[in-house]
Amino acid sequence: MILIVDDKKENLFSLKTLLQLNLYDVDTAVSGEEALKKILKTEYELIILDVQMPGMDGYEVAENITGYSKSKDIPIIFLSAVNIDKRFITKGYTSGGVDYITKPFDPDLLLLKIKTFARLYRQTKELNDIKHNLEQKVEERTAELIEANKELEASNTELQQYAFIASHDLQEPLRKIITFSQIVKERFMENTDASQYINRIIASSERMRTLINDLLSYSRLATDPDFVTASLNIVIRGAITDLELVIKEKKATINVDNLPTIEMIPDQIRQVFQNIISNAIKFAKPGAAPEMKIWSDFTKEKSAESKAAEKGVYCRIYIADNGIGFNEQYLDKIFTMFQRLHGRSEYQGTGIGLSIVKKIIEKHNGLVTAKSRENEGTTFILVLPVSQAVKPSAVLY
Amino acid sequence: MSDYIRFFLIDDDADDVAIFKEAAMEANPALEIINAGNGHEALKILKHTPGNYPNVIFLDLNMPRMGGKECLAELKKDTALRNIPVIVYTTSSQSKDIEEAMLKGAICFITKPTSIKELKHILSTISKHVNGNLEKTLRNLSNTSSAFIVC
Repeated sequence: MILIVDDKKENLFSLKTLLQLNLYDVDTAVSGEEALKKILKTEYELIILDVQMPGMDGYEVAENITGYSKSKDIPIIFLSAVNIDKRFITKGYTSGGVDYITKPFDPDLLLLKIKTFARLYRQTKELNDIKHNLEQKVEERTAELIEANKELEASNTELQQYAFIASHDLQEPLRKIITFSQIVKERFMENTDASQYINRIIASSERMRTLINDLLSYSRLATDPDFVTASLNIVIRGAITDLELVIKEKKATINVDNLPTIEMIPDQIRQVFQNIISNAIKFAKPGAAPEMKIWSDFTKEKSAESKAAEKGVYCRIYIADNGIGFNEQYLDKIFTMFQRLHGRSEYQGTGIGLSIVKKIIEKHNGLVTAKSRENEGTTFILVLPVSQAVKPSAVLY
Repeated sequence: MSDYIRFFLIDDDADDVAIFKEAAMEANPALEIINAGNGHEALKILKHTPGNYPNVIFLDLNMPRMGGKECLAELKKDTALRNIPVIVYTTSSQSKDIEEAMLKGAICFITKPTSIKELKHILSTISKHVNGNLEKTLRNLSNTSSAFIVC
């Protein structure tokens, strides 16, 4: 609908007739005050405004219209017979008009202008509506995503706690199965045929126990201990001490270079070395004593391939063994939980150890990979940031 | 000094009590095991036999009515009972349990071992040194045993 504002009834009448003949809906107001009231109630697509009126003049009306958020985009065409001077025309534009037409006017030209401005207004309005809708939808979707994310985090935490509790409780009956089997074997079955079956029960239960233990360590990683500054030398020494028995038994030798001090969660990094070293011992070549060499360098990028650089922000640790190695096409597999490259009868293991390594290294914002060829040993490469973005809570050693 | 040694096992798990007795029997024939199923019952027994106390208390943590931590606190509050050495003997190996037990006055924390041989070794060693330097014995045990022992 188009609103015509003019204090002279005859002007209103002639313009209204012209527009109605051209099939426009038309409303009228005889003063600025009346016009403003109507604008608040009705939505117009164009306003034709007389400049000279008693009371509020056209400029004032226009300024008011453009001041309301509801009406600010409605195009205003000024119409004047008296104020045809350039400065009045300028004032019309600055007060919010889109055009300023002086009388006498050509009705055909006026109609063309009305048509153009009305169409522009409709299109702009449609665009604005679409934009508004889109913004609203984006907001809704964002809120939904945040909510879904929260739920996911909560269920993730729950799942990790569940895994911890479940694996802890699973160990209990198993410990008893093993112990009672041992008692039965020792007390009643020494040197009988049945003892070999009991041995199998014990061996199976022990394997299950290792599996549960590994699962337990995996789920423990979910908790968030702080990063501290600690020496890799001391952490590796701890890991080697833990493995002392098996190292002695397999006559393994481990040669460790002097390593730097970095920001880490020491218990977890110790677990990383423990898993990699025990892996190397497990996958030794038959008949050959396991030999390992551990050294490090620095590099500027988080990459196993990049050039060594003394002032790099990443510490790269290499753990090389002389074991059976593997085909590098299985590289992804070795870090995936429960993936084993060998039959259980050939080599022990639960297939969790290296997935724990990967999870820990990722938690340290680093990466782990390996280079290997079958029968030629394996070199694990850990790339760890020297400093973590989260500042360490303490300097340990 | 009596010629037999008495360990008081406070544990509600019948299987674990059976395993403990089995191991004790083979570890040292002079070893007598008494048992209570919770802290409450244990304190009642101890208070009824003044002067005739066990050489060592083995205390489980997770028990109905009165759990091990509460029982430990009660034992250490009682002037007559506080000198009996308490070893926490439990399935847990969590650091918060260990810290709490040691803080409350346990002399040692042992996670129930899977191997009965290990348990026999632990009980036999402790029973031989109850009248000597028990703390040193336990420290040596924690270094040599494959069981999880913290002193």
